[in-house]
Amino acid sequence: MKSIVTGLAAAAALTLASVAPVAAQQNSRIIVVSHGQANDPFWSVVKNGVSAAGQDMKVQVDYRAPETFDMVAMGQLIDAAVNQKPAGLIVSIPDASALGPSIQKAVAAGIPVISMNSGSDVSKKLGALLHVGQDEVVAGRIAGAKLKEMGGKVGLCVNQEVGNVSLDLRCKGFTEGFGGKVTVLPVSNDPADIRAKVKAAVASDASVDTILALGAGTAGEPSVAAVKEAGKTGAIRVATFDMSAGFLKSVAAGEAVFAIDQQQYLQGYLPVVFLANYAKFGLMPGGDVASGPNLITKEKAAQVVDLSAKGIR
Amino acid sequence: MVNTTQPTADLSPAPTVKKIQDERLREVSFVTKIMRRPELGALAGLILVAIFFASTADPSMFTLAGIMNILSPAAQLGILAIAAALLMIGGEFDLSIGSMVAFTGLIFGAFITLSGWALLPAIAATLVIAAVLGGLNGQLVIRTRLPSFIVTLAFLFILRGLSLVGLKWATGGSTQMRGIGDQAGEGLIRELFSGNALEGAFAWLAANDLIGKFPNGTPTVTGVPVSIVWFAGFALLATWILLRTRAGNWIFAAGGDPNAARNSGVPVDRVKTALFMLTAAAAAVVAILTVLDAGSTDARRGFQKEFEAIIAAVIGGCLLTGGYGSAIGAFFGAIIFGMVSIGLTYTRFDSDWFQVFLGAMLLLAVLFNNFIRRKVTGER
Amino acid sequence: MDQDVPLIEIRNLVKHFGSVIALSGVSLNVNRGEVMCLLGDNGAGKSTLIKTLAGVHKPTSGDFLVEGKPVSFASPRDALDAGIATVYQDLAMIPLMSVTRNFFMGREPVKGIWPFRRVDFDYCDEVTREEMHRIGIDVRDPHQAVGTLSGGERQCVAIARAVYFGAKVLILDEPTSALGVAQTSMVLKYIHQVRQKGLGVIFITHNVRHAYAVGDRFTVLNRGKTLGTYAKSEIQIDELQNLMAGGKELQAVSAELGGMV
Repeated sequence: MKSIVTGLAAAAALTLASVAPVAAQQNSRIIVVSHGQANDPFWSVVKNGVSAAGQDMKVQVDYRAPETFDMVAMGQLIDAAVNQKPAGLIVSIPDASALGPSIQKAVAAGIPVISMNSGSDVSKKLGALLHVGQDEVVAGRIAGAKLKEMGGKVGLCVNQEVGNVSLDLRCKGFTEGFGGKVTVLPVSNDPADIRAKVKAAVASDASVDTILALGAGTAGEPSVAAVKEAGKTGAIRVATFDMSAGFLKSVAAGEAVFAIDQQQYLQGYLPVVFLANYAKFGLMPGGDVASGPNLITKEKAAQVVDLSAKGIR
Repeated sequence: MVNTTQPTADLSPAPTVKKIQDERLREVSFVTKIMRRPELGALAGLILVAIFFASTADPSMFTLAGIMNILSPAAQLGILAIAAALLMIGGEFDLSIGSMVAFTGLIFGAFITLSGWALLPAIAATLVIAAVLGGLNGQLVIRTRLPSFIVTLAFLFILRGLSLVGLKWATGGSTQMRGIGDQAGEGLIRELFSGNALEGAFAWLAANDLIGKFPNGTPTVTGVPVSIVWFAGFALLATWILLRTRAGNWIFAAGGDPNAARNSGVPVDRVKTALFMLTAAAAAVVAILTVLDAGSTDARRGFQKEFEAIIAAVIGGCLLTGGYGSAIGAFFGAIIFGMVSIGLTYTRFDSDWFQVFLGAMLLLAVLFNNFIRRKVTGER
Repeated sequence: MDQDVPLIEIRNLVKHFGSVIALSGVSLNVNRGEVMCLLGDNGAGKSTLIKTLAGVHKPTSGDFLVEGKPVSFASPRDALDAGIATVYQDLAMIPLMSVTRNFFMGREPVKGIWPFRRVDFDYCDEVTREEMHRIGIDVRDPHQAVGTLSGGERQCVAIARAVYFGAKVLILDEPTSALGVAQTSMVLKYIHQVRQKGLGVIFITHNVRHAYAVGDRFTVLNRGKTLGTYAKSEIQIDELQNLMAGGKELQAVSAELGGMV
């Protein structure tokens, strides 16, 4: 028992020692509260953007998110951030009514707030200075139109984060731009599960000729694999929102048609830059900044693959 | 009915007997009495965690606003944890409570927005439906004699699925239901289930500069969130039931050894069914509280909360095998959980490390608890 | 009350479970202030007999009289109400709970009015202390977990509980089988005390020595049938043992091993 106690004491001392110097600094500090977990490949790109901007602008940045898609917990995280009186707050807004009060409290406390990724429609109303992101419906429409142009008539929209309004809007935009018949296929965010479900959907409905996934690593790649397993590569056109190295390779190889680059790196990078300049000089752009969409087709794929593996695109 | 039958022969005259007792019984020291309480481990764990954060976190964590910030998630988890603790002491698990939160949130939202009911009937109906579902769980466990783990795991999926299906049906395709707060109206019932308590007191404190204010004059902490009041109240009620009433003795007995309990005349089946109804009702209360505060509900509410509730109960001293534990312990366990999950965001640790920290702290708390309990109950 | 009427009397009790004949003719009786030892090896039908007496099973046929009147128990509760208390092998004691809570389990006295009804723990603690003192369990606190008591102490507490709540007949199922020497003598001493109080005791065991130490009369049970009842004065210990084990086989083994088995 004694040895365990001494061991614990030593561990505690080490932890405190490594952390103590940090507590002393109190420069410009910017806190990011998003609904994207650290282990999600999409959000780790956003986080990389945040860290890079922090280094470039020489400000302290902290990235915070709840362990699962939990709006109640996210509201509490925003409250926690407000209590620490940062120089700026960056939030994503997947649920305006749940997060609204906390965001408004931040604004009332005099903290400059920029929203990113989701919630473009409510951002201004809640008091944010501007929004950096991709308008989901617009992006969906553009993708839909392109796929229609390619000859698509019957499509599947694979949604892996059901409950996130932004993703629902993507499918909605896609349906509008595509014009043909679109079915929404709800899945979890486990790639193996998605592959199985897409394969089943394709097998049960032979008229499907277009699949749009809403996340490359999570849903896009498994969808490509499922189509391959069903022997329908080429007959079914697969496209996705967002990107991953694997999916881009498929695009380069002709197994998929395009990926939509939301350029989420910018969604992490730009708000930090804006808030840092605001804190230092009072500068702030006059309107929302659209970070995407950027349709990565076969021609652009190779260059982007490289950067995707590095967690930048 | 008090049974005062005395044995047919008597041995020693009463007064002498009592005196002999006092001399011969070992003085049970105060320290030992304290150590015996199952919640000691949880309290000690809480102090340890607080010390950790006091040295590594931004000092704003321990301001009034910071404390409310920690207690809010603690309260929502805590109401579930206390109910889960009572059930665990009674020897069963309910893995469906997280999904029950989502499902009852949906039902409540639907009553308010689709059926247009007033708050009171909507709340009452939601609680009743939850209790019925809980009772169903309980009866299934009792009659099939399957482990409650399995039966309630099945309901975890069923209710989660029904929440998704129901939300889409109720909202015409979305997985989020909004506008519930607006349609619920104001009034006494609303005050009981959402917002803050003691707002007048806090406004006065702010006016007299006793607590912090925003630049525009409103106090940074406008009151005590109602969920915290429910949390504390429920903890007190559960403790009283466990330690002071007949039902409490029955709960310990049903969990400790259901056969022995039945042989002694304890209505084990009734007790267990009632406990399942309680956990379901607790989930409904949490759902109502969070839906009214957030004004909305979605398909992911309460996700994984059943596991967190069990962990909080175990940190609080409850044995997974049943028959031992405490509601106050679960109270502290939930606060530890809240402190760790929110507290880490007040530190400069990279968020990638959060889950590691969370797991490590929970493990430490449970180990410490275990150690204390073994010493005290004579377990080997 | 008529002192000569046995507290419990059963005549030719038969119990079938479907096609299995568990009891095929059991007869015994217990009087006030007497310890009747029921001896039988494993598989003789002891547990079925106990459960029948305790009201868990209904006999298929035969007479079951309590204080001279025929009875038919629908549940263990009925048997308890008639004054028949059974202490099973697992003692119905819950190790994690305190002695007081165990003592009053299922029969907790309450005070106060609804919804503030609570258990009168002061009264319970008092009574438990007294009972523990009477048993002679030294230096123990009623708030201690039952798990901290030794096996013999637990057995005595279980018996004390049955006696306190008004048992007229105690059925003890193998009370000493898992105990060491010192603890066994503690339990046997307490059974003697209980007998002196005027209760009847049915002491079930497969250990002849223990039975002989405390019993007044002995009934042997073999393969669901009773092979006769003997007073202590009528029979010796080894005769009893032979009867229990079925006689010849045991004698042969005993001879082989060069001593008494």
